[in-house]
Amino acid sequence: MTRPGEGRRGRASGTVVRYVLLVVGAAIMVVPFLTMLSTSFTGQAYVLTIPPQIIPNPATLDNYAQALGTQDFAGYFLNSAIVSVLATAVAVLLSSMMAYGFARFDFPGKEVMFRLLLLGLVVPAMMLIIPQFVLAKQLGLVDTLAGLVVFYVAGNLAFNTFLLRGFFASLPGELDQAMQVDGANAWTRYWRLAMPLAKPALGTVTIFTFLSCWDEFAWALTLIQTPDKATLPLALSLFQGENSTQWGLVFAGSVIAVIPVIIVFLVFQRSFVQGLTSGAVKG
Amino acid sequence: MSSIVSRRAREVQPASRARRRHGWIGLAFIGPGLLLFLVAVVYPIFGAVQMSFFHWQILAGAVSEWIGLDNYVQAVRDPLFWSSLLNSGVYMLLTVPPQIVLGLLVAVLLKRASPTQPIFRALFYLPVVTSWVVVSLLFKYLFADQGLINFTLHDFLHLMSQDVSWLSSRWTAMIAICALGVWKGIGWSMMIFLAALQGVPESLEEAATMDGAGRWRRFRVVTLPAIWPSMVFVIVLLVIGGLNVFTSVVVMTNGGPADATQVVLTYMYQQAFKNLDFGYGSAIAVLLAIIVLILSLIQLRVFRDRSEVAS
Amino acid sequence: MKRSLVRLAAVLATAAIAVPLAACSSGGDTSSSAKQTVTIWGSYGNGGNSAQQDALNKTLIPAFEKANPNITVKYVDVAYDSLLQKLTTSAAGGTLPDIVRSDIGWVPQLASLGVLVPISDKMSGFDGLAKATYPGSLATNKYDGKYYGLPLDTNTRVLITDQAALDKAGLTAPPKTFDELKAMADKLKGSGTQVFADSGLGQWNMFPWIWSGGGEVTNASLTKATGYLNGPKSVAAIQMLVDMYQAGEIPNLITGNSGATSTQDGLPKQNYATILDGPWMKSIWKAQYASFTPIWAPVPAGAGGSISVVGGEDIVLTSTSKHQAAAEKFIAFTQSKTFQIDMAKTGQMTVVPAYADAQAQLDPTYAIYAAQLKTAKARLAIPAASKVDGILTDALTPAFEGKVSVKDALTTAAGQIDPLLTAQK
Repeated sequence: MTRPGEGRRGRASGTVVRYVLLVVGAAIMVVPFLTMLSTSFTGQAYVLTIPPQIIPNPATLDNYAQALGTQDFAGYFLNSAIVSVLATAVAVLLSSMMAYGFARFDFPGKEVMFRLLLLGLVVPAMMLIIPQFVLAKQLGLVDTLAGLVVFYVAGNLAFNTFLLRGFFASLPGELDQAMQVDGANAWTRYWRLAMPLAKPALGTVTIFTFLSCWDEFAWALTLIQTPDKATLPLALSLFQGENSTQWGLVFAGSVIAVIPVIIVFLVFQRSFVQGLTSGAVKG
Repeated sequence: MSSIVSRRAREVQPASRARRRHGWIGLAFIGPGLLLFLVAVVYPIFGAVQMSFFHWQILAGAVSEWIGLDNYVQAVRDPLFWSSLLNSGVYMLLTVPPQIVLGLLVAVLLKRASPTQPIFRALFYLPVVTSWVVVSLLFKYLFADQGLINFTLHDFLHLMSQDVSWLSSRWTAMIAICALGVWKGIGWSMMIFLAALQGVPESLEEAATMDGAGRWRRFRVVTLPAIWPSMVFVIVLLVIGGLNVFTSVVVMTNGGPADATQVVLTYMYQQAFKNLDFGYGSAIAVLLAIIVLILSLIQLRVFRDRSEVAS
Repeated sequence: MKRSLVRLAAVLATAAIAVPLAACSSGGDTSSSAKQTVTIWGSYGNGGNSAQQDALNKTLIPAFEKANPNITVKYVDVAYDSLLQKLTTSAAGGTLPDIVRSDIGWVPQLASLGVLVPISDKMSGFDGLAKATYPGSLATNKYDGKYYGLPLDTNTRVLITDQAALDKAGLTAPPKTFDELKAMADKLKGSGTQVFADSGLGQWNMFPWIWSGGGEVTNASLTKATGYLNGPKSVAAIQMLVDMYQAGEIPNLITGNSGATSTQDGLPKQNYATILDGPWMKSIWKAQYASFTPIWAPVPAGAGGSISVVGGEDIVLTSTSKHQAAAEKFIAFTQSKTFQIDMAKTGQMTVVPAYADAQAQLDPTYAIYAAQLKTAKARLAIPAASKVDGILTDALTPAFEGKVSVKDALTTAAGQIDPLLTAQK
């Protein structure tokens, strides 16, 4: 659409500037990642040379072969996948319910309970590892994938609820009330109305939660005792040597580990489609 | 639309009464999540705070000696605690504003739908997705005495007259660590702002344009207030994250040289997991948590007042 | 609501199932006639090196299990940098393994916290096994008059150089004494190669020089550092390094610049002429710098001779182990020639001097390390050992930078170390 005062040339130069900025920014974002990628194809002798090489010469697939051929690598991958998918699903569900409850209803102690969630954001997770481990032992969750899921969900509740509450609160109340008049109960309003409208926020929350579960190391290290329940970050940590490290191997493992997260990102970022909210309100 | 409006007018009074009457429904919604949160997070917080009042023995079943506030007194008297707090604070102040400004800028640039938009979004999000250990190592090599940064700034662009030994002294090392923090975080705030910008009604933007408002004015008067709740959210969270910086410091400098770049969490980790003094480590963590909590509450109060005045 | 309840129930149900299962498995049978499983935690397999873990899992453990049909041994690999953290959380949660391949520096600390068993009292045959090991390695297991483990593998630092560096300095052999090192430094002035490089100012880095210079770190009973750490010979040894640093002959890698070229890269690349390092460097350089030929030599001798610092790992028994008798059998097995030599083949040096000759036949480089180990001393074997490195680094960095005198720096450090030494009593 044309704007007053902006001719076609003004719009074109604006687009060029926009693209230049984006390309420069994207290049800065990507260069370290490219270094990681290129090092993963490099033999040990040439790793992280100073000054750095971008195109590895000679290139090799040995690192990937070694990483993928590591005993039980598929098992670690599967464990991470199970834990992350389950924890993300439960976390998004529970926190969206909480966010909806805080946004749409009044009840005694509401503000206090909401502030309590702030504690979850403010306290460093490292500090909680030992009390949580003792608790996990009491609940019989030591060395179990369920133990990972339970605590990953709990750890993501505060952030997700804060993010989603703002979204639900900003949704116009008329639609709620319209449905209420039509006889819809609270759960239906939450599930059929609020959730679809909050898709951008839900997409964001899903991406972040999956990433935090997939990459989590300290709790997995503490809880898991047997290798058959280990997750991918634990496997990657074993690629670092006591006296020296094969960085090509570490980076190859990291590249493999990053692929599912990118996939989750690509799948869920499509929910950022504009138009649902404005369409409903305009009517 | 008119039917909805008139229904709304009729329903306003009874709806609020209905809300209060059905408050238990709200409790039912927050129940499961809150229960899990209380058991798995809040209860351990009490446990960790409790550890800080003891000369805590790590072996399960061992008896620990109560020492009251001694750990806290030790922290206050510990010059390393204060210098680590300063480092965390500097890191936070140097990384939060750039992440907000640049993240918002990229979000605005990427708001318009186009075939390249998903590609750029993915590229900007890549740093967020890559593990902290790996990128910290990469940045350590980028900022090495003979690394790419020196090569680019000195030999290539001639912006510096000589190589800088980035990681050999406190403040140049902090710059390198902060650069990593900003680089890694832009994509994160970009994601939140993108979601927020999707919620800005185009009708308002059109109305402002019709009134003759330029791009900057439109942004300030329409967009910014509309995304203000997300902005507050991002600021509060980035401040918390900044003060909690950990992995990048461990990998890039390990707190060195000679404890110059220790931040609060690396110092806490050293006390708790290397010196096995969990009482002291917990006390340090509690002090940090209190500082972060107070800062967060202040921010929420200040920013909420502003948004109420604005509307 | 229904769907979330179902999901939550599923999660809780999983937990509920886990409870009886955990309860069943935690009650271990301690009678020696029943089948027992001994669990060991170590870092053998780190870094994608399977040689050590293979030797353990494919040869040594099966041999042990064959000789002890009622005992099954399970080895679990943990990343080295995370091992102490995992031991700590497991101690708190009561989920420790039976045996740990522990860094020697952790043993007094873990012993003082009650995590380890004083096997000098409990294990039969301990005395004989202990006497067979290097005294410096054995000393790392001592706490409060008792021994809480046995040495498992050892290493030390020796001087490493190469022909190119010697040629540049006009020498035919590596420097044997402090004076020869100083002379080498003078000859290398202006050549672009620095005479010596090291990556820190902790015990591992400084003590070889102090001891070789004839100085001491503490008194014999480990109760006092003042008067020893800042004694004249200790000061003189460190002063030599400081003088070289100020003359630009030692890089600021030693004062903690993590952006400087590492010793691992700097020696092959001619940035540095000599370094002190361990036997693992041989295979590391073979992979990275195939044409590089290191020359191994004893630590330069000062007034005290050529004395280096002991490294390595000890094997320890946890106090919560339910299979102590079986575990002790395995610990004894690790001291046998079979175990020691098989592991020596994979780069883990033996802790028993009697096997040094057999080891040298595997690789002549080991002979130099074994000779150095005869006189090598242990770092401070105290529970608060982890703090000592920080104290030394923080005190010595200003000395190297010329802001305080070496004597004052060492006096400060000694003053901070004294209370740590007496606290353990």
